[in-house]
Amino acid sequence: MKAVILAAGEGTRLRPFTNSEPKPMIPIANRPILEYGIDALAKNGITDITMVVGYRKERIMSHFEDGSDWKVKIHYVDQKKRVAHAGTAYALSMVSSEVQGDFLLLPGDNIISPGLIGNLLDSKGKYRLVVTESETPSKYGVVELSGDTVVNIVEKPETHISNLISTGIYKFSDEIFPVIDKVIKSGKYGLTSVLQTIIPTTKVTAVKTSKVWSDVVYPWDILTMNAVALRKCVSQTSGTVDKGVTLKGSVTIGKGSVIRSGTHIMGPVVIGEGCEIGPSVCIYPSTSIGNNVRIGPFTIVENSVLMNDVQLSSGSYISHSVIGEGTEINPQFCAVEAPADVKLEGEFKRVDRLGVLIGEKSVIGSQVSVDSGCIIGSNCRLASHSTVRTNIEDNTRVI
Amino acid sequence: MCGIIGYTGNRQARDVILAGLRRLEYRGYDSAGIAIGNGSLNVFKDKGDLDHLVKIIPEMRGKFGIGHTRWATHGKPMKNNSHPMVDCNGEIALVHNGIIENNVSLREELMKKGHVFRSETDTEVVVHLLEEYYDGDLEVAMRKTLARLQGSYAVAAMHQKENGKIVGARNISPLVVGLGKRENFLASDVPAILEYTDRMIYLLDGEIITLTKDTVRITDFKGKSIKRNWQKVEMTLEGAEKGGYEHFMLKEIFEQPNSIRDTILGSNLNAESGYSFDLKPDTVKIIACGTSYHAGYVGKYMMEELARTPTTVELASEYRFSSDTSQAPLIIGISQSGETTDTLSAIKTAKKRGFSTLGIVNIVGSTMTREADSVFYTRAGLEVGVAATKTYITQLIAMLSISIKMGVAKEHLGIDDARYLTQEMRKLPKHVRSVLDQSDAIFDLAQEISGARSMFFLGRNMNFPVALEGALKMKEISYIHAEGYPGGELKHGPLALVTEETPVIAIAVKDQTYEKMLGNIGEVSARGAMVIAIGTEGDRELEKYADHVIYIPEVPPLFTPILTSVVLQLLAYHTANILGCEIDKPRHLAKSVTVE
Repeated sequence: MKAVILAAGEGTRLRPFTNSEPKPMIPIANRPILEYGIDALAKNGITDITMVVGYRKERIMSHFEDGSDWKVKIHYVDQKKRVAHAGTAYALSMVSSEVQGDFLLLPGDNIISPGLIGNLLDSKGKYRLVVTESETPSKYGVVELSGDTVVNIVEKPETHISNLISTGIYKFSDEIFPVIDKVIKSGKYGLTSVLQTIIPTTKVTAVKTSKVWSDVVYPWDILTMNAVALRKCVSQTSGTVDKGVTLKGSVTIGKGSVIRSGTHIMGPVVIGEGCEIGPSVCIYPSTSIGNNVRIGPFTIVENSVLMNDVQLSSGSYISHSVIGEGTEINPQFCAVEAPADVKLEGEFKRVDRLGVLIGEKSVIGSQVSVDSGCIIGSNCRLASHSTVRTNIEDNTRVI
Repeated sequence: MCGIIGYTGNRQARDVILAGLRRLEYRGYDSAGIAIGNGSLNVFKDKGDLDHLVKIIPEMRGKFGIGHTRWATHGKPMKNNSHPMVDCNGEIALVHNGIIENNVSLREELMKKGHVFRSETDTEVVVHLLEEYYDGDLEVAMRKTLARLQGSYAVAAMHQKENGKIVGARNISPLVVGLGKRENFLASDVPAILEYTDRMIYLLDGEIITLTKDTVRITDFKGKSIKRNWQKVEMTLEGAEKGGYEHFMLKEIFEQPNSIRDTILGSNLNAESGYSFDLKPDTVKIIACGTSYHAGYVGKYMMEELARTPTTVELASEYRFSSDTSQAPLIIGISQSGETTDTLSAIKTAKKRGFSTLGIVNIVGSTMTREADSVFYTRAGLEVGVAATKTYITQLIAMLSISIKMGVAKEHLGIDDARYLTQEMRKLPKHVRSVLDQSDAIFDLAQEISGARSMFFLGRNMNFPVALEGALKMKEISYIHAEGYPGGELKHGPLALVTEETPVIAIAVKDQTYEKMLGNIGEVSARGAMVIAIGTEGDRELEKYADHVIYIPEVPPLFTPILTSVVLQLLAYHTANILGCEIDKPRHLAKSVTVE
């Protein structure tokens, strides 16, 4: 069977991390989110994948190429017109000529486990939808069932209906395409609308799963999900570890990376390729460090995600933070975690423990300190000795 | 230059050979053909590229055969001039890459003996010589034939009576042998057969190879057996698929951040080396062709600035004929494939003159890696697009790394300077990524210039060779006439050609030439030319002078060529794509030039 993955979206709610990286490419434990889904398919023997790409498609194509490294065959379809309201149904309609018979449909920006795909394949029904329980159903499409049949689906309901939500993972047949065309013509672009159209006449089977599925909705979800994914991290060293380095727990060190003496790393921690860490750096659990990252002496990093090409100078403290690709941080930077009210899309959201979220390619001067829960955009320049107490927009110069 | 391939084993040879030719197409695509043996000899060939051949080729059964994809040197691209060539009786088939220099005299001699020639090529003499000397053993006939040949060649031949046997030989042009299980391969280049095996033997000059599905025998031209172990090839075929991109060239442009990272990692420029290098030449001479020449030209500025070492750059095809001067420079030869005949000959000339040589090469195991005294590998991976992009960028990284090493060794750079520069180098992948993020904006500019019949590229100092490279890229893939000039030289002649119909692309980054470049931009825009400038991020002043500006991130001036080059690659790519050109296979060109 073929699988279609929708990976054309931008993921605006994850800004600043999606300013130049599409959401499916956000790294969780040093692997793009999309990789989890592809892996889950491959492990279930599904190797023929059509991927709808759009926003920053080059990042996706350059990473996965033809898929042979993941033992799958990927064919790309470019969703050229990113119409303002283009939704999942519109994206799926792009592949109508590529797909015959039954097929699986997956969102490219969710973490999906092999077990979940297994559940879906093992169940019966022409149309199937994977549903799962959620503590916060109001963020998702909520599903009402009668037995195992889907009777209603409501996007982000304001009143409580049920805790069962749609994962956006389906088994369909090509007969869905004429329905999609009709729905699109009526000016609706979401798959939920398509589903609502077919529910009255066709049985859609709900496949309940308790296997891992998660969606990065807000930028700080990157940290939670990273911590979960890192539990599977193994001890493996392809780089150079100097004498006098302490490694505890599971620590993965990529090729060409150098860990200098006096460094203390407590796993689970994953370190990418070509990094230079230490001397005398402390890295505490649930930290992911991308490729080509440098961390200078006497710096402490805890429960954080440092993306590719980040440079951290000496004497800094970074906890519960996400640092975007290529950001440079000069000496004695301080981002302490604390309970925080983060301002996002004009609303304050409560996060239990959060340090700072910094977008890509920003440059932070020396001795900068940031209040918990602040978001600093991409391409910002912060002068030395600044104290940051609020969010900072992209491309801002703070002097 | 051409690509050749041979197969013997249990598979249908036709399919193996066609798949292999597909990966060799970068070496030429004027015409293609294959010969298959199954008791009789079947040859099918035609003018045109492989797609054309695949469309019209009939089913051909047989388990050994040879194939060829051609880049014409002697004789126009036409069916008769395509390989495989056959002898008068249609029993022997031969494919050849290279040039037989004494083909005219051999042809006369053979015609006198009654051989009938059907093509205009130099190659055909070889197959008639084989026929002349054949007495039941193709290997013996090959040995006698090679003794008569002058020039460069890699050949593969088969005889219909010798079932399952392929005989090949090499002199100057490359040839590798791939070892399989109950099957064996022969090809111009590793990727052609990498799908089937990673165990390779690189044939050396003056060696003959005889393959059956179970045996591999290497002998020299005198018939003495040679023992050689196979090597495991680490390259993967991954790079050989387009992975969603419209063209290999675009895919390779977008791969550059990773290629840069890998090359820096491999450069040994780190604290582990203790920054102690033994590289102290008094002078340097860089030798290369085409795009590599431009990388070398940028390198000249890097070496002079970082190592204060007088450096000259010469085209390889010219160096060979230059006079020996009293100084003994370090010779740096740059060749992506490591097989570029002109560059190899220049290295040989330099060695004869007693100079030490350093090769900058992308392909591990290639001829130059054996010829040069030492080698710097650019780790760009397999490049398929004929227009060099990621290999060129990694050559710039190589020049930069070597300059830093030389600067430290000659004590012009402190170790702290070297550390600073290497740290800045490590930021290059992300800077290149931000240039790539502007691909859509560059596409819009390409639309503006795609109607032009001629354009100028201006740059000064180390961005002058970048202007040359920008013009070369534009010429080779979009077929628009383009010239690179140093900004200051314009008023000494070419300014006469600047009108409102000649767009000018001007590199005006913030370095010591910035003010002067603004003046040059003024000169051309006063003649009505549309100016696209490449400037440093944050430079709003430039917008007053130029019609359009593309910005690159701020980096040390010495690093700017790496970023400005990427802008020009994208500009050439989008222009060619808008014009509907065959980007990965520009007309008359081929990737590695293994002829003189």
